Amino acid sequence: MHFAKPLAGRTSLALGFFLALSISEGLVVRAQTAPSDVAAGQKLFRANCAGCHKWHGGGGGGYGGDALSLRKTKLDRAAIIETIGCGRPGTGMPYHLRDAYENGACYGLKENDVANGMALAANNFLRPTEIAAIADYVIANVKGRGEPNYAECVAFFGTGSRVCNIYGDQRTAGAATK
Amino acid sequence: MDRNRSRLFGGCALGLVLALGLMGKPAGAQDVTDQRLLNADQEEGNWILHHKDYSAQRFSTLNQINAGNVKDLRVAWTLQLGGVEGGGIWSHGGLEGTPLAENGFLYVTDGWGSLYKIDTHGGQGVLMWKMDPKTDHDWAGAIACCGVDNRGAAFWHNLVVTHTLDGRLIATDKETGKILWQRQVANPDKGEVVTGAPLVVHDMAITGVAGAEYGIRGWIAATDLNTHQELWRTYTIPAKGEPGSETWKDDHDALATGGGSTWVTGSYDPATDTIVWGVGNPGPDWDNAYRPGDNLYTDSTLGLDAKTGQIKWHFQHTPNDPFDYDSVAENVLVDVNGQKLALEADRNGVGYAVDRTNGKFVWALPFVKQFTWTKGIDPTTGRPVDYDPSKGVQTYVASVTPSRTNKVTTICPGNMGGKNWPPTAYNPTLHLWYIPVIESCNRITVEETIPGKSFKPREGFTGGGPSDPIRITGSVTAIDVTTGKMAGKAETPYPMLGGLLATPDLVFAGQPDGKVMALDAKSLATLWEFNTGGGVSAPPMTFTVDGKQYIALLVGQGGAWDKWFIDSTPDLKRIAPGSTLYVFRL
Repeated sequence: MHFAKPLAGRTSLALGFFLALSISEGLVVRAQTAPSDVAAGQKLFRANCAGCHKWHGGGGGGYGGDALSLRKTKLDRAAIIETIGCGRPGTGMPYHLRDAYENGACYGLKENDVANGMALAANNFLRPTEIAAIADYVIANVKGRGEPNYAECVAFFGTGSRVCNIYGDQRTAGAATK
Repeated sequence: MDRNRSRLFGGCALGLVLALGLMGKPAGAQDVTDQRLLNADQEEGNWILHHKDYSAQRFSTLNQINAGNVKDLRVAWTLQLGGVEGGGIWSHGGLEGTPLAENGFLYVTDGWGSLYKIDTHGGQGVLMWKMDPKTDHDWAGAIACCGVDNRGAAFWHNLVVTHTLDGRLIATDKETGKILWQRQVANPDKGEVVTGAPLVVHDMAITGVAGAEYGIRGWIAATDLNTHQELWRTYTIPAKGEPGSETWKDDHDALATGGGSTWVTGSYDPATDTIVWGVGNPGPDWDNAYRPGDNLYTDSTLGLDAKTGQIKWHFQHTPNDPFDYDSVAENVLVDVNGQKLALEADRNGVGYAVDRTNGKFVWALPFVKQFTWTKGIDPTTGRPVDYDPSKGVQTYVASVTPSRTNKVTTICPGNMGGKNWPPTAYNPTLHLWYIPVIESCNRITVEETIPGKSFKPREGFTGGGPSDPIRITGSVTAIDVTTGKMAGKAETPYPMLGGLLATPDLVFAGQPDGKVMALDAKSLATLWEFNTGGGVSAPPMTFTVDGKQYIALLVGQGGAWDKWFIDSTPDLKRIAPGSTLYVFRL
């Protein structure tokens, strides 16, 4: 799990233990990836993830903590879904499933196990299908990418803003490459 | 002046503006002249400067609403504003502005910089016009560290002068709402945005900049309002070889991305023609080993020559800051015991008094309940007692201080302060200085910054980040300025994110859960409370119209709290964004 960096060695060890447990059946959403899912996933990514992981998913420092790079992530789809849903206890990565810690579905932990603030709830909870759409978007458009460029930026923001100005000298670089 | 007369004069003024080809200085009986700004404290029913007057005391002599009758205060009217839409990394805009009031008309801004003129005569609020500057939401919103914010407007003759988050200074005709001219002052391509209200001094608009989390080199700039040209720009981080550059002891040009933003409107001392302005944190925020040295002029108060922008004096609060304890707060100018003081409530949790004629330290007092980063402030120098001038990288209380060897740590106050931008207020009769306090600790995780690799334009350059597993509350804390001692603390369930207003026997405040309250100026007992139903993150102000006193307050959660710090106040997640002007009367 590499969405956010561990905050303490003890936490990291504990997390490692829980990661060794199997992912709950209830968390794995086996939705088919369709183009509409990726588009929906981009909107959801922008609303829920871009604050910390940035529009390009590269992460980095900021008031949202030091979010890890989704461009460099090794996680597969199921692990991304789990991380979005369960968060990453002991880090700034919040959980987005409303009942993530009510029945042990996440790492076998229950509410009392995380009551000390180690597991942080997201501002907005997401439905499992929404989480799957974000994961599909990350795999299709973020994971494995190199440096962000103009084409990627415009694909994310559109052309109505100057937000992509700083990539302007890359306009001839063409589409993003994997 | 009645409404019709005001409009008549407005029409005359507009005509003159047009006759001048929109270039000259507008004139008319409603002119906000240099003389009126200098005497703003004497316009009892108006509020014509951002902080009420140049001293930034935010004290009104109006006393129709007082300790004896404030229990009867009620809503006179409300007005829905706009600017709630999101942009960049922000899901919504918010309200942090202080309304201006002149002759019964209010001028308020929303987070995206739209300016509204509201006629308040007759016991109601009627929107006269709205100026929408068409702010580039994504360009600015993607690099605004701490919300979609705009803290208000300034008057100059018959113009209303405002900023936009995307870095413009805009002059709007006060009568028609038409934009007469605008100028790009800050550059979002460099990570610069503007959130503060302009300060008009002489015929200049002074602009501060935000962006220390994005590796900017901070500045304060003066625009000539007659020619629309820049008169001066003073960088808060010296260039190589300039005075102060010796306090950046690294070998990788750390001062080029040294931060030092200036995003809170300063104050002005006419007696010495000195602008007093606070400077923000160094960058990267939490990796101070990247930038050994004291890092002037970050975390400092500056005294600037108003005509040239030249730094006349400085006082630094947290040298080589590893906490994000910036010093952008407004300085309150007061005269007590024969001393001419500048008071600053710092994010590091300490209230400071310095001699505003030369920047010499006078006294300091921690005003927060939890204070762990230093063992205290040296009563002679004003430096933290654990500051070691022989060290390039300060460790303060090393077990607490974030560093490359103490990568996860809890600091008190938390990195939001102490006291953030929400303004203090000062009662010159009681000599009490009221501070809107964030009673906090939070957790900092340090990420080592790599020279030549970590900095990228428009990307966060912070050397780590905060998280908030610990409950945060607040208080209104009063300091007796004659003694430098604490006079009282009224604790609040939530952090003070909106700022204060002082009247002869009251202090007004708002809370992020929507409550607005009036406290007794001496005892700080709550005398009145009202729930607005929206998050309050703006300061109250007061004015008169038709001979009656009103209290006005913008309601609609702004700033960074609900995005970055909400885990410390999880019950505030129920507060929805909004954008409403509330006006109260007896």
